[in-house]
Amino acid sequence: MSTINFSAREINFKIVYYGCGMSGKTTNLKKIYESIPGTAKGELVSLATEDERTLFFDFLPLDLGQVNGFKTRFHLYTVPGQVFYNSSRKLILRGVDGIVFVADSAPNRLRANAESLRNLRDNLSEYGLSMDEIPYVVQVNKRDLPDALPSEMIQQVLDPSGKIQFFDAVAAKYIGVTEPLKAVSQLVLEHLAQKA
Amino acid sequence: MLQPSLELYGESFEKVDALLDDLLAKSHAQYVLIVDLKGFVIAHNKALWAPKPPSLDSLATLIASNYSANLAIAKLFGETGFKEMIQQGDRVGMYVEELDDTALLVTLFDTTAALGRVKMFTKKAVTEIQTILSESKGEAPTMNFDENWQNSTRALIDGLFGPSK
Repeated sequence: MSTINFSAREINFKIVYYGCGMSGKTTNLKKIYESIPGTAKGELVSLATEDERTLFFDFLPLDLGQVNGFKTRFHLYTVPGQVFYNSSRKLILRGVDGIVFVADSAPNRLRANAESLRNLRDNLSEYGLSMDEIPYVVQVNKRDLPDALPSEMIQQVLDPSGKIQFFDAVAAKYIGVTEPLKAVSQLVLEHLAQKA
Repeated sequence: MLQPSLELYGESFEKVDALLDDLLAKSHAQYVLIVDLKGFVIAHNKALWAPKPPSLDSLATLIASNYSANLAIAKLFGETGFKEMIQQGDRVGMYVEELDDTALLVTLFDTTAALGRVKMFTKKAVTEIQTILSESKGEAPTMNFDENWQNSTRALIDGLFGPSK
């Protein structure tokens, strides 16, 4: 749920990048951090292991600017993708407003993508939420892999109903990074307007 | 859904702000913050003599996550939570108390402040803030998220990431 702080005149949104291990969630945040002008971004905080795998989360606050005298801010988080870090993933989902699900295009990660989406559904349910209630989009990352699965196949597995927006990406080259973030931001705004 | 971050508006905010100043003065702490468990800063004050604090966004996120992680550890052992959350370095310490089930009061102090004093005045401030919050229920202002607001926010997003293709 979006948080409004009347005393500081701020509206805060929490966007979480979810997905299986090594799908490129942290890379998305790093690329966003590199591309955003200094005044609009805060520090990029990474709680990672020595081999640069996310241990708890990465965090990047973005300041969009003011609307009607209220600062609008997006807080971007990643979760650790590895299966055994589920407790951490669950904690980061607290108060989530929107999700970018980062899928890996490698053929041997198709099952991991599907399991991660199922895990997201399970973890949301612990907060009394369902996937239908939370705005989310899917980024199909690593499209430059020589053996990348067709996007349509990944889409069929993750969203057979075809209701969700999918975006092809090569996050490491900053291709398809901003589009899913913009799309989920728009969905979050629409969601807020409907519910407020 | 839009969720207000505590019932802190107008007069109740002024009262809490004054209490935070009082806490700083009496405990000799450097900074006090109210942080919600989603990692957002709700209110913060700094002692006049204290240096510029580190990024409050980073601080709030790390404190809220740390608190949640500790709570999860406590639950693994069948506890409802740990009674105290204190961190002490060579130069800086941090004391965290629950305000309610959505927010924390955080006191950061250096070696000039005694931990016992920080704890005593932080606990007292928690009780006083809880009283203010319980008296201010239902004061929440409303905000209109109409099409104009949506369009203006979309324009900001376009401004930051470039227009939609």
